[in-house]
Amino acid sequence: MIVYRCEDSAESIFTAVYQAYEEKRNHRDTMLCLTDDPILFGEDVEVKADREKAGKVMNTLRRRFGAEDSRHLAMALASEDEGKAQAVYRTIVEGLRVKCRPGHLFDNLADNEIHKAFALGRGVSTELGHQVQFLRFQELDNGVLYSKIGPKNDVLAFLMPHFADRLPIEHFLIYDEKRNLFGIHPARRQWYLLRGEEADGPLQPEYSEEEMKYQELFRQFCHTITIEERKNRKLQNSMLPLRFREYMVEFQ
Amino acid sequence: MEYLITSQDMPLGEKLQVLTDAAKYDVACTSSGVDRKGNGNSIGNCVAAGICHSFSGDGRCISLLKILLTNECIYDCKYCRNRHSNDIPRATFTPEEVCTLTMEFYRRNYIEGLFLSSGIIRNPTFTMELLCRTIWLLRNKYRFNGYIHVKAIPGADPELIEQTGFLADRMSVNLELPTAEGLRTLAPNKHRKSILTPMRQIQNGIITNRNDLVLYRNAPKFVAGGQSTQMIIGATPENDFQIINVAEGLYQKFGLKRVFYSAFVNVTGDKSLPALPGGPPLLREHRLYQADWLLRFYGFRADELLDERRPFFNVMLDPKEDWAVRHLEQFPVEINRAPMERLLRVPGVGVKSAGRIVAARRSGSLTFQDLKKIGVVLKRALYFITCSGKMMYPIKLDEDYIVRNLTSEKERVQFGSDGMGYRQMSLFDDANFTRPVTVIEQQQAAVGQL
Repeated sequence: MIVYRCEDSAESIFTAVYQAYEEKRNHRDTMLCLTDDPILFGEDVEVKADREKAGKVMNTLRRRFGAEDSRHLAMALASEDEGKAQAVYRTIVEGLRVKCRPGHLFDNLADNEIHKAFALGRGVSTELGHQVQFLRFQELDNGVLYSKIGPKNDVLAFLMPHFADRLPIEHFLIYDEKRNLFGIHPARRQWYLLRGEEADGPLQPEYSEEEMKYQELFRQFCHTITIEERKNRKLQNSMLPLRFREYMVEFQ
Repeated sequence: MEYLITSQDMPLGEKLQVLTDAAKYDVACTSSGVDRKGNGNSIGNCVAAGICHSFSGDGRCISLLKILLTNECIYDCKYCRNRHSNDIPRATFTPEEVCTLTMEFYRRNYIEGLFLSSGIIRNPTFTMELLCRTIWLLRNKYRFNGYIHVKAIPGADPELIEQTGFLADRMSVNLELPTAEGLRTLAPNKHRKSILTPMRQIQNGIITNRNDLVLYRNAPKFVAGGQSTQMIIGATPENDFQIINVAEGLYQKFGLKRVFYSAFVNVTGDKSLPALPGGPPLLREHRLYQADWLLRFYGFRADELLDERRPFFNVMLDPKEDWAVRHLEQFPVEINRAPMERLLRVPGVGVKSAGRIVAARRSGSLTFQDLKKIGVVLKRALYFITCSGKMMYPIKLDEDYIVRNLTSEKERVQFGSDGMGYRQMSLFDDANFTRPVTVIEQQQAAVGQL
């Protein structure tokens, strides 16, 4: 069995997929692995991430499976699961083998690997939805909007386009504290990601004067809008899980 | 009784509290139906599915900044908190205040847009003009490109309603009570006809606009998110059958996007209103919403779900289960062959899972294990389906037997209670167990009583 050892990045995993096809491997006897765990009778191949190869794979995916399904695959790769590379690889192989039409990649949910890639992608997509809902910006002294998040999966790259479209004339900054990753959007310009160095340390934000006033107003709004006769904490907790609340102004 | 504080010198926080409190019983708080990209020069975009930004203590979503422009209402509807004979604090926002609040909340991602309603100040046309001017300001001066939901005031000048429609994403006229008779007894200032007139006007406006958009791609959009309405449930003696018939009529004849149901909360204590010792009829509201979904997405008709002989929904079973156990002759459904519309009628199979079943069975026949992966709720569906001719367990297709099994689960949802018992504690919880010693306790300790 051939085992491609990749890093935990979409670029590296797509490069491995490219190599598997380039070297004409038997796909049933090939594996993508993110960890260093030894595999019995496995023949290790180190993968060096190559932007060009990964780009070619991504173009093929978009052409063959359509924008929506290739995005779903990319989302599956943003999850924290260790088996994601293998699941995505198997799904791609299966999709190309049966020549599925665009938008029908995940039709055969009875297949275990396809279902796994689908479930991982859905998990990330749900998390992304939650962040879009529950992320809160705070205005800093210099007018920049700053937000801190701690998502389970690496959703920042998917989160930025949403807010860049929504707030094009604002400077804003989203900080993923679990991965020490910054998403930066200068007003009216293209956004980018920046990996923080350890020396950066946590940011000590200085908030603007207005900020506390609007936080207080919103807290009051949330409190007032509750209908006492319909009180249902359990429903609130299932719609808005507790792990998001430490980042939300109305629960502080 | 006179209030010394006039609303002009009231601080913004207090106004917000008064006017949120006045608007909170309105349920139509969704931000769905419009997909609009940002335009690069202003703030805001819209997502078709809608986004809920928070959830209040009653579990309802906070999607829009839901406020009244004013609660100084001249009408005297008996169920309404803002009726003019009710003794509550009154306030009025200036259009600028509404705009600033919306913009500042929106850019901090607190809300998805504005929901603006109003009490009737002076007369309907004057009120509508105020609403229209406010959102004109928000769209044009503050360049807000997000979601706006405005109420159309029954009896207002049609010209104003049309102008507002070009600025708003969704408009709604509240039907308030399901029948004209109920309206007459509880809301003497409102008439069924004056409510349906603007509703019809908006419907026609949307149709005309749709035709215009075919001809001129850049024609301004009129109420792009469609219109909605709401009914109060449990204030008048209508039965569920009448209510879903009204809803069906509204969907079919008025092309409404949504009908909302609001369990009646007795806030005024008027003698003509029912006392609700068990709290608001939340389970009834829930069943109506379930039926509403069946009407809109599952191809059911109102007269299939209920009829004159059994005009109320079953308390124990949801409307779909209820329909299924009364039509056992149509079951079991074979998962690998049945057409989409029959799959949709199986309890435990939703629109998404039915679509996935149809897609997945092209690649091979499905088993119960696969159905689980697809997302079918087997604990409800297993009584009604076969996979390749076999049922999951040997089951009698017998009404009593199935009903007993469907209702025997212990984890039936308990409505009306808080439902909050405990929560997992961790070592790092700062539960604030210590509290400062009060003066009384100090005295008690001093004289040896404690």
